[in-house]
Amino acid sequence: MSNLLDTNEGAHYLYMGNDAIVRGALEGGVSVAAGYPGTPSSEIIEQLARISDRRSLYVEWATNEKIATEIAAAASFAGLRSICTMKQNGVHVASDFLLHLTGTGVRGGMVVVVCEDPGALSSQNEADARYFAKMLEVPLLEPGDFQEAKDMMKWALELSEELKTFVIFRSVTRMSHASGNVVIGELPENEPRAYFQYKGPLLDFLTGPMVTGPGVVAYARTVQQGRLKRAVSLFEQSRFNIYAGPERPELLIITSSACYLYSKEAIHTLNLGDRVGLLKLGTTWPLPEGLVRKHLAAAQKVLVVEEPQDFMEENIKILAADAAGEVGVKTFYGKKSGHVPTSGELNPDIIMNTLKGILGIQYEPVPQEYATKAFQSMFKSPGRELTFCPGCPHRASFLSLHNALALDNRDGFVCGDVGCYGIGVLPAGFSTVKTNFSMGSGLGLATGFGKLTKFGMNQPVVAVCGDSTFFHAVMPALVDAVHHQSDVTLVVLDNSGTAMTGFQPHPGLAVDAMGETAPSIDIEAVCRAIGADVASSDPFDVERTEKTLLGMLKKKGAKVVILRQICALSPEKRGKKKYQMSVREDVCIGENCGCNRMCTRILRCPGIYWDTARKVSRIDEVICAGCGVCASVCPSGAIQKAEVA
Amino acid sequence: MDEKKHLGQKELNERVKHARLCTGCGACVNLCPYQRAYEDKVLAIFPCDLDVGRCYAFCPRTPVDLEALRGLLFDPQDLTPEVGAVKGFYVTRSRNTKERSRAQHGGTVTALMSLALKEGIIDTAVMADRGGTFLPEAVTENDSRKVAMHGKSSFVVSPNVAEFNRLAKGSSEKIGAVATPCQALAYAKMRMKPIPERDNNIDKLKLVVGLFCGWALSWERLMDLLAAKTELAAITGLDIPPSRYQAMHIYTTNGTIEVPIDEVNRCIRGACHYCFDMTAEFSDISVGSARLSEGWEEARGWNQVIVRTDLGLELVELARKKRRLEFREVPEGNLQRLKAASLNKKGMALKNLKLRTHSQDDLIYLNKEDPAFKNLIKGG
Ligand SMILES: Cc1cc2nc3c(=O)[nH]c(=O)nc-3n(C[C@H](O)[C@H](O)[C@H](O)COP(=O)(O)OP(=O)(O)OC[C@H]3O[C@@H](n4cnc5c(N)ncnc54)[C@H](O)[C@@H]3O)c2cc1C
Ligand code: SF4
Ligand code: SF4
Repeated sequence: MSNLLDTNEGAHYLYMGNDAIVRGALEGGVSVAAGYPGTPSSEIIEQLARISDRRSLYVEWATNEKIATEIAAAASFAGLRSICTMKQNGVHVASDFLLHLTGTGVRGGMVVVVCEDPGALSSQNEADARYFAKMLEVPLLEPGDFQEAKDMMKWALELSEELKTFVIFRSVTRMSHASGNVVIGELPENEPRAYFQYKGPLLDFLTGPMVTGPGVVAYARTVQQGRLKRAVSLFEQSRFNIYAGPERPELLIITSSACYLYSKEAIHTLNLGDRVGLLKLGTTWPLPEGLVRKHLAAAQKVLVVEEPQDFMEENIKILAADAAGEVGVKTFYGKKSGHVPTSGELNPDIIMNTLKGILGIQYEPVPQEYATKAFQSMFKSPGRELTFCPGCPHRASFLSLHNALALDNRDGFVCGDVGCYGIGVLPAGFSTVKTNFSMGSGLGLATGFGKLTKFGMNQPVVAVCGDSTFFHAVMPALVDAVHHQSDVTLVVLDNSGTAMTGFQPHPGLAVDAMGETAPSIDIEAVCRAIGADVASSDPFDVERTEKTLLGMLKKKGAKVVILRQICALSPEKRGKKKYQMSVREDVCIGENCGCNRMCTRILRCPGIYWDTARKVSRIDEVICAGCGVCASVCPSGAIQKAEVA
Repeated sequence: MDEKKHLGQKELNERVKHARLCTGCGACVNLCPYQRAYEDKVLAIFPCDLDVGRCYAFCPRTPVDLEALRGLLFDPQDLTPEVGAVKGFYVTRSRNTKERSRAQHGGTVTALMSLALKEGIIDTAVMADRGGTFLPEAVTENDSRKVAMHGKSSFVVSPNVAEFNRLAKGSSEKIGAVATPCQALAYAKMRMKPIPERDNNIDKLKLVVGLFCGWALSWERLMDLLAAKTELAAITGLDIPPSRYQAMHIYTTNGTIEVPIDEVNRCIRGACHYCFDMTAEFSDISVGSARLSEGWEEARGWNQVIVRTDLGLELVELARKKRRLEFREVPEGNLQRLKAASLNKKGMALKNLKLRTHSQDDLIYLNKEDPAFKNLIKGG
């Protein structure tokens, strides 16, 4: 059982960063939480959903990030505390609403939790959402360790309620997904009542209607800027801004978030504690100006360590320029000077190298011999190719898509979308995907391509999206495609869950985040209602799927093909094989003309491999998921499938 | 050109498909998962890196020693340079009027295939159905009484050899095929077993009934042409009477529409301009339309038949004996006229091939030393 609801105040627990955030939210009295799945943020909503039956909580996986912020804002308007969660690019989706939300401010504390992915370990971008804080004129908080992740989350809810503005709380992969010791605090016994007050006068955002509009914008912005000014004065005293080091350091490092951990380790390893000062900021926008000025005055050289962009570095330089008379002229090191990489994730080794460069220290972070060996072994170890899982329905779907486009023979192509199916760009997806951008833009782009017939373009255009993405952002594009009679085929790869981020339910399923039965939205019916020509097929029926796709490619207008098959990793399927697969060695043609290794050269499911010694294909019993697709592509019938009872 | 050497899919694509010589016969299809037929095109959907492949070896547009093929299939005494082996030349039609009404001309092909099935000479027939939109579909038939349902010519190429390849992997033991000349050539190449260790069960092929063929049409272009002339649903058949009529006939529920041959010529499948064979020289029996002094209305109910092999002769004589075929006297000079037409097609093919290569010597897939071409080459 989870210890997230433990009332043993003062107890120590090993928490993953996202758990610490959950605990902080609970200690801060959160009532409503909404989010859209995205690594590394997903566990926050998952954990809250798991305990929602034991606490008075409403938790949902929203259809998209914008709706998640709206759900959270409604709770706040009704006097509750709320959070909404997303990954970095989710803020871009939510930003339109957030921009307007600064016009009214909030009532109950509301925190936008953004978990970023510097280095884009599981993303298609390395967006730095901190800029939104500055653009939107809202406070930005960044925890520097796991204890802070909890404490700061609680404080964020209080701060938001006090200032009457939502607050952005930013974590990163190494904070959200790593674990550390956390001392838990008190869990409030709160049973708040929700009520939306609107009877007060216009522009009284505490009791009146929550509306903004022309004529009141200047007023609203002045109010918001006033809130920021108060934030600065609070931040000057904040216990989340800490300094360690000599009074007059040779070099002052200013940092935040996970980079604080890296910097601390670098200083420790290089034994620079008496030469280098470390100012860790938890409140990174607006800056605690007095505090920063004080530390700038004490050092001549300043290094800013942050990821992924130079957000703090710029803001500190502006501050230093304004205060030049008081703090003197500084030498800045960071991304601009080339001392800190401008992209990718940082780590202690990188910071050590930076410090060596600036301070002229000789130090080999890793013994040379070891480094050489490690480097060599990198090339020896068999690099695993990025591919779909064994039994993944997408492999079969993309095979049929590839075949249909090849047979159609008009240089057709697929506009991809965000999800596992991004692999469609690689040989594992038969290289069918030729564009891949943000969520929903697959069909948006395809709809645009589909209107280019009048300029002589007759390449068939296909867009793919997952079931979750369909609800997130594809529906408006489908409306556009149908209404404007774009010649486009949307393929919905319906694997019954948000597979890439771990099977969070979405509106297409009959269950919600909290595990309760919910009306499911029928994608097929939605598409028909919008006016698209709809067909569906089981992607494991390769022949029928190819035929269905070929037929649709021929038709004019907006068409939808729903390829429905549950993800191989889904809880329902996992570990359960439909078929026991085997290869008849005597029948396998292998490398000979007539096959030339269709299964292991073209299909390339990890569950089947080429036995170079015996020159036959073999099933890897451990990896094979028993979907049977390889049997349907084998030209000789050597691959056998036996139904598992 | 090294005719002995067999190459693979890569060369097939370069030298046949990309060179736009592919006839769509289907010989390279259903041998493996990579070559596929769709509509009237044959496509490589995945690359294959084998150095030697059956696809290349069987294709009627890759180089082959035609003399060796003739030696394998025919009696040397029967060979003519103009129309290949001739054991007998007839004008025939089916005696069954119902069969005739469903046939392109005299229903000779239908009658012969039906008889071959009935007599157990074959157990499965490979034919082509016209399909609703003039896109033919390869079909198999085991029932002699149902052969007539697959009558009438489809002037778009049907990948029938692909269907043979598929069938030959299965339980059929004695297969008979109706074939256009390119398809007949593909079957002949298969019978040579160019890759002995991996044939395609070609020994199951027992009978090839060839169709005379001037050219086939590109499906897309044909559809455009037909759609411009009439309601597609009203069309009951198409025909191209002998060249002196200079027209294609579209038979519709409201009578016949004549399309000037120039318009039809624009729809010809490009590859057919490089085909040397009008009479399906590599078949057991070849069947085409007849020429009669009474004119086309009478002639279109009859066929001209060239018998080329012993098996062919047996079948035709059996058909006479069993009263399946009706024979009439061959008009004077008909074989000569056929030879002239055949030579004309050969000449055009050679001319077009030379235009392609800008060379007198390089005939891409043909050998200028072949007895069928030698004289034509000299002639210019
Ligand atoms: C593309 C094409 C071009 C032709 N050009 C000429 C020509 O220039 N001069 C000439 O004399 N005759 C030509 N013919 C032959 C002619 O149209 C008749 O098929 C032939 O005379 C036999 O008539 P039938 O009444 O015996 O045929 P039917 O008894 O009707 O039997 C015809 C048989 O051919 C099969 N078939 C139909 N279309 C195709 C196809 N595309 N590929 C393979 N099999 C098919 C049918 O399934 C059926 O079994 C051509 C045929 C084709 C398919
Ligand atoms: S497997 Fe054989 S027939 Fe198929 S493409 Fe390769 S060489 Fe050609
Ligand atoms: S002519 Fe026949 S064998 Fe040659 S490439 Fe075309 S379909 Fe294949």
